[in-house]
Amino acid sequence: MSVLTRRRAAPAVRALRVVVVLAVLALVALALAWRPAIEPIDPPAAVTFAAELVRRGEQLAGVGNCAACHTRAEGPTFAGGVALQTPFGTVVGTNITPDPATGIGRWSETAFVRAMREGVDREGRHLYPVFPYDHFVRTTDEDLHALYAYLMTRDPVPSPPVRNRLVFPLGFRPLIAGWKLLFLDSTPVAVNARSSAEWNRGAYLVQSLGHCSSCHSPRGPLGNEDRSRYLDGGEAEGWTVPALNGRSPSPLPWDVEHLLSYLRTGLAVDHAIAAGPMQGVVAGLATASTADLQAIAVYIDSTLGSPSPSRQDLARAVRTRASQPTLPAVPAAVAGDVTLALGETVYAQACASCHDPGRGLSSSAALKLPLAVAVHEPDPRSLARIVLHGIRPPGTAVGRWMPAFGDALTDDQLVALLAYLRRSAAGAPPWNDLRARVRDVRREPPG
Amino acid sequence: MTKLELDVNGRRHSVDVDPAAPLLYVLRDDLRLNGAKFGCGLGQCGACTVMIDRGAVLSCITPVSLVGNRRVRTIEGLGSAERPGPVQQAFIDEQAAQCGYCIAGMVMRAQALLERTPNPSDDEIRRELAINLCRCGTHMRILRAVRRAVALIAASVRTGAP
Repeated sequence: MSVLTRRRAAPAVRALRVVVVLAVLALVALALAWRPAIEPIDPPAAVTFAAELVRRGEQLAGVGNCAACHTRAEGPTFAGGVALQTPFGTVVGTNITPDPATGIGRWSETAFVRAMREGVDREGRHLYPVFPYDHFVRTTDEDLHALYAYLMTRDPVPSPPVRNRLVFPLGFRPLIAGWKLLFLDSTPVAVNARSSAEWNRGAYLVQSLGHCSSCHSPRGPLGNEDRSRYLDGGEAEGWTVPALNGRSPSPLPWDVEHLLSYLRTGLAVDHAIAAGPMQGVVAGLATASTADLQAIAVYIDSTLGSPSPSRQDLARAVRTRASQPTLPAVPAAVAGDVTLALGETVYAQACASCHDPGRGLSSSAALKLPLAVAVHEPDPRSLARIVLHGIRPPGTAVGRWMPAFGDALTDDQLVALLAYLRRSAAGAPPWNDLRARVRDVRREPPG
Repeated sequence: MTKLELDVNGRRHSVDVDPAAPLLYVLRDDLRLNGAKFGCGLGQCGACTVMIDRGAVLSCITPVSLVGNRRVRTIEGLGSAERPGPVQQAFIDEQAAQCGYCIAGMVMRAQALLERTPNPSDDEIRRELAINLCRCGTHMRILRAVRRAVALIAASVRTGAP
């Protein structure tokens, strides 16, 4: 009997030990995750900031595209309320106007810098990394100083925070400390002494405030950026985001001049126009300084690298195809393919009147499709989105646009059109799972 | 020329047309349904908006051959001068037209919106109608008309009235 009792007691003791160890570890983890609140301040008067500093901050806020997540459509600037859908739930952009009660009016510069670099708010709560502090951590003191001056001189807008809806258990913010332990790398952007000051400025802006690789790099299972595949293409809001390294899908190689024009206006001759989330980026960059944009263009031109011989062949082939009056006919060998035949009809009847003439001065003139990046991308999502929902300039902005064909075309017609464009405009092998991708895009919000 | 069958406002029509012709031309020239208007011919103004199944489409850039056996609805299908449909009635009540050229398109896009989203927010109405242009500037009345239509449709659902 006593033997049996001892036998029963021993596992219980072991279990107790495990519980105690786990509890201690949890306490240690919580202690490590704990961040103190930073004393609130009285909102600083706008006159305490130099006008030049505020102007510089405005330019940098454009590079950082703060408005994308902190200004909702047609809402007051920086008052928050943008619902950001992530694979881990919905996080709502906060009010970063200097409203003392609902914004950052009572944040000292120390609190602001901690939020930008460590992803911790004034009260000491960990912030979700959809706020890209994994990039902002590299922003210089000088630039953060200007940004603080800019934000604290905006009109305060009372706009209470909206609750996030995260998948269990991520609503428990101390867990974010673990994510930071794994993925928050505060190494400053290395200066490359062999490159120009302009290149170095561009490299710094792209990797800090610009946070370009947030969308232009793939992400790992925990939403972390895959640093080993820097600028290797990613996805954002249902769009395929093209690579900005040697694997760029752009049929024509970019150069600094075209990149600058694209960043400044969303349009580069013989390249695609900005669509999807990139429209917001371009809208934000409107306030950026030309010197900073030029620096970004110089750096991105270098990450794209000089085009390989096969890219140069593609560029020549694409230019030849784009110089023809219309897309090449489906060759006799596949003339019996009903999908391609339907796609050719759809193109000829619904697309050609704008796309065959090519891009000219008229607002309806459109890009010759062999030059369009979307037909060359590794998957058809962005092209499907453009055909279904069209391209509209963001908000009330004016700009180039394309009407939506989502309700005019059936799924069969759309799939056929995309298959035809892939073959005749891109001259590329068919996309896998085209029909399934089209169905996905139909289900997703237009965005 | 090709013979095509079209289902417009619940009636079958046989037409003999160029298959690449825009649906708008066939509606106006062959079927004499002149509610939908030719504005820009480029899909940029919305005056030609009609419905195909449950969606609003720009009929000036929709080739007739791609319509197939889907249901086309034009403003003539929503009601008549004597018996206007709820969206038409709401536009009349709010006197939402000045020159009226854009209104058939506005009504059809509003109809499509309300069939999909019976109680849209102001933001949704604005976003949906943004591509339909009105050069007279009756936008505020048009917005009021759409909100009134929401109420009219809800009331007719409650009373079972047509």
